[in-house]
Formats: sequence, C-alpha cells, structure tokens
Amino acid sequence: MAPLKHLEMENSIIDECFRDFCASHGILTVEDFLLHDLYELAAFAEREANADRLKEGITVMLSLIELQCRPWLNGMELLEDLQRNKHTLSSGDNGMNSLLQGGYGEGQLTELVGPSSSGKTQFCMRAAASVAEKQEGSVFYIDTGNSFSARRIAQFICGGSDAAALRKRVLSRISCHTVYDIYTMFDTLQGLEVALRSQVQMNVNEYRLRLLVVDSISSTITPILGGSGSQGTCP
Amino acid sequence: MGEHEARGWIRCDETAKQMLSRVLGDRAFLLLPPLHRVPLRAGNVVEITGSSPTAKTQILIQAAITCILPKTWNGVHYGGLEKLVLFLDLDCRFDVLRLSDMLKHRLLEAYRIGNGAWWQLEESNVKTQDKSKIVYDEELYVSCMKRFLYLRCYDSLELLSTLKTLHYRIRPQEACGSQVGVLMIDSIGAFHWTDRLSSSLALDKNNRKSLSLTNVVETIVQEMKKLMQVHSLVVIATKATIYEEKCPTNENNGKLSSNNAMPGNASSKAQQPPFREFMPSSWQAFVTHKIFMRKSGDYQSSGQQSLSAYSLEWLQPQLSSIDRFIVDDSGIVIVS
Repeated sequence: MAPLKHLEMENSIIDECFRDFCASHGILTVEDFLLHDLYELAAFAEREANADRLKEGITVMLSLIELQCRPWLNGMELLEDLQRNKHTLSSGDNGMNSLLQGGYGEGQLTELVGPSSSGKTQFCMRAAASVAEKQEGSVFYIDTGNSFSARRIAQFICGGSDAAALRKRVLSRISCHTVYDIYTMFDTLQGLEVALRSQVQMNVNEYRLRLLVVDSISSTITPILGGSGSQGTCP
Repeated sequence: MGEHEARGWIRCDETAKQMLSRVLGDRAFLLLPPLHRVPLRAGNVVEITGSSPTAKTQILIQAAITCILPKTWNGVHYGGLEKLVLFLDLDCRFDVLRLSDMLKHRLLEAYRIGNGAWWQLEESNVKTQDKSKIVYDEELYVSCMKRFLYLRCYDSLELLSTLKTLHYRIRPQEACGSQVGVLMIDSIGAFHWTDRLSSSLALDKNNRKSLSLTNVVETIVQEMKKLMQVHSLVVIATKATIYEEKCPTNENNGKLSSNNAMPGNASSKAQQPPFREFMPSSWQAFVTHKIFMRKSGDYQSSGQQSLSAYSLEWLQPQLSSIDRFIVDDSGIVIVS
C-alpha cells in the first residue's frame, strides 16, 4: 500500500494540501484512491479554495494509475506475441506431443491429473530431461513426494559418443527442490520470482528457465483444505 | 411566460415514431448466438454461471466473433455488429488461437454461403484439401482481429485501475470509427477468496474504506455503471461456481417440475437457484440477465467420437426451454 506522500518527490502537485484534502475523505494510500468515486471527489474539490489545483492533482493521480496498467492488446498483437515468444516445448514423448498438439505451451499451465501410480512422475521427469537436453533451458523441479530420481532422468537422455559429459551438462541444468508443505512452496516460488526478475534485468540468457514442474501440488494443498468433497471445507 | 414560450414548451421535440427509430438505431437489439433466445440491449448485464468446465468461455468467444464481424463485406453477408469487444481476462487462461480458428471458420462458412457454394460445407468436413481453394479474406480477418481488445488482470486492484482508466484508453481506438459493443469479463469471482482474506486484514476503520470484498465489488459496479452511461455496451460476465452443488439437479428434474400439475410446486422449484450465490448483493442487483450452464451427458455425433454436451438455462428471465449444445471445431453447435 503506497502512501500518497511517497509520490510527492516526483509529482510536486501531490503536496501537503492535496494530501490533507484526500485524508479528509479517508484517502491515505493509492489503493484507497482506487476505491473512491473520482467524480464525487472532484465535486468536493470544487468547494475548496484551491479547486483547480486539487482537480489537477486528481488528474495526475489518474495518469499515474494509467501508467501502471497493462496495455490493451488487440487480437493481431496477441497472435504475434504467441508466435514470437510462446513456443511449445516437446514433452519427450511422441504420444504426449500429438495429444498436446506439439508439446507443453510456454505461458500455459498444463495439469497432469490421475490416480496414484499412473505414471505422472514419469511424464514430469521425461519433460524435464527433454527440455534440459533438447531445448537448452534450465528446469526448476519442485518435488513434494521424494519421487525425483536423477538416475531415471539420466536414462531418458539419449546416448551418443559423448554420453557422460552430455549427461553431466544436462543434469546440471535441472535444479530439484523438496518441499513438504504449502508455506515452503510459497517461499520457494517467491524466491524463484525474485531470481527471475533480477535475471531479466541482468540479461543473463545462457540457460534461462523454461520449465517449472510441481510434483505434486495436491499433496501440499489437501492437508490445508481437508474435509470431504473436492472443494474442501470452504464455509 | 409569454404565449410563444408556452406554445414552444407544449410543442413536442419529436414524435414517438421518431424517438423509437432513433433509440432502436442507437441502442439496437443484439442477438448473440447462442444467447439468442433473449434479445440483449445496451445496458444489459448478463451473468453466465457454471461449474468448471462448462464451455462458458466458448460462449464468450462465439459472442465476441459475432460482435467483431462486419454486417457485409465485399458483397458477402456476415451478419455481425462491427463493434469493439473489450475482454477482461481475470482467469488468465484465454487462448487466442481458439478465437482465431473460430473466426476463420465463420469467415469461410459465410463466404461459401454467400457465393452459393453451400453444398460444399458438408464435403469440406471430409476433404480438407478443398479448403485451400477457398481462401478467406485476409484483410477482413485482420480488421476483425483488431477489433478484439484484450487485457489480463492478476488482482482486484489491477481490475479497478483498468476500469477507472478504460474510458480514456479506449478513445484512440474509438476515434478510428468503431464503438464499443460488448465488455466481457471472464470469471468475475476470480479474486473472491483473496478479497475475502484482505477484508479480515482491514486496519484503521475510521473514515477509511477498507479493501474488503464488498467495497471492491461495489466500486467495480460503480465504475461499470459509469462506463455504461457513456458507451452503449452490453456487459457479459462469466462466473465459476465455487461451492459444490449439494443436491445436483439434472434436466429430468426440470422437465418433471414443468409438467407438474401443481403450479405452486413448479414455481418454488424455479425460484431456488441451482447453485450457491457468493457474489455480494451490489453485484447481484447490477445483473439483469442470468444464465446457468451445466454438463449434460455425452452426445454421440455421427461417426465421430462422443463429445460432451452442455445445457444452457435462462434463469432471469425465466424460460422453460433448455438449450443443449456441443463444442466442436467451428464453435458452439446447438443440438436440441
């Protein structure tokens, strides 16, 4: 929640009397500003002595909010973005590729659902091996059930003349993190987000993260929700 | 008042016929299939409720395509409205390829019908090579896609800032001629739980509006009302049911109650909504039309694998018929 006085440094119009006027209507932060009716606020500003300056302040606030918003994209721009940035990653298995029409889509969340021992972890490891080897990207593997096996991933990597060195390179791109509860999961994911943001700023493109695998998400959430029924005990 | 002024005051501005023709031209009725049972006018707010997945987003995409297509182009009749569609994606799951494919299908179909080659519609399902002979108009496709505006919001604050600044940011697009036709919101209840959590974190209560669920939804409704005053648009929002149905009702139940001789029984069954409402009352009062979707078994189409069928029921205004449809490559196909 950003208090209004932090904006004064860059926008001199958000001065003491503007902030006092806002505070008299219960607006102390930018979020409060969003919850209020701006036309009503402008009508109140009319009654004050420095009406023009206050209304100018409101306009400046609105333009600051506009800067923070995402741009509206039209259909053609969306398609271009899809073709340029969002490629499909091969899952390593031809059957899965044909089912997903190419592979796992970048920017999309693919959910593998099934009863226990139906092969979900095998698919996860196959995908990790395929992305690390063929797509030259790094993999972030979150494991909640101790089912990650580096040996099994090594078996997925195609051999060649330089098998051992290739295996070492590929396996070094997969980072495995064990979490057993939802709070550690949140911490890990937030740490990942911070790391990715700093990576973008430094433009380190060598092995950028291309795949995030969570195996499995239900084992961290069901202890929290509990109760009967798939929706848990929501009141 | 002098005599002239009094006469001028009594003399009418326009006759009823003139007023009707002006209003119907300005704020015309929209028939958006598959919501064609009830004609919609600017100012209507439609809420489509259903558990996940029940093809709600498919309905939005189909309605969007009808909105962005022009009425006629190069002599071919497309039957669209040629208006902008604003799509606010709160679910962040929208697939633009699906929109693009459905639009291409519609263009091809309309082109074939327009050029009298309707008999080729059936054959093209079998011979896919024929499609390359009949090419859709690329320029029309691009102009239609450009009328579809899309934005994602990841929390309620982003949604609020988008709604507050929408009017100013749409102006450059509107300056190119097209008006806004529909505002679509995919999953209005997307931030329900996070907003409920922040209401319990409200601190200083004196004179300050806390960021609670009711306040956020009230502000959203306020902003949308202001938008509807300025632009003549229809709002269509989907809503995913969060609570599990305790007593699942199915189509047979509905049919039995309508055939029931006791009118009291039928009306009481009709008034009880088949899902648990979780949106605050400010939103419920804002909605003018309600639709309920549910899964309704499988449909065996000729020769191909069985597809899941969904049923669409109008709750407000209450209609007795239930539409049943399937979703295939070209979009929504009404089955019964």
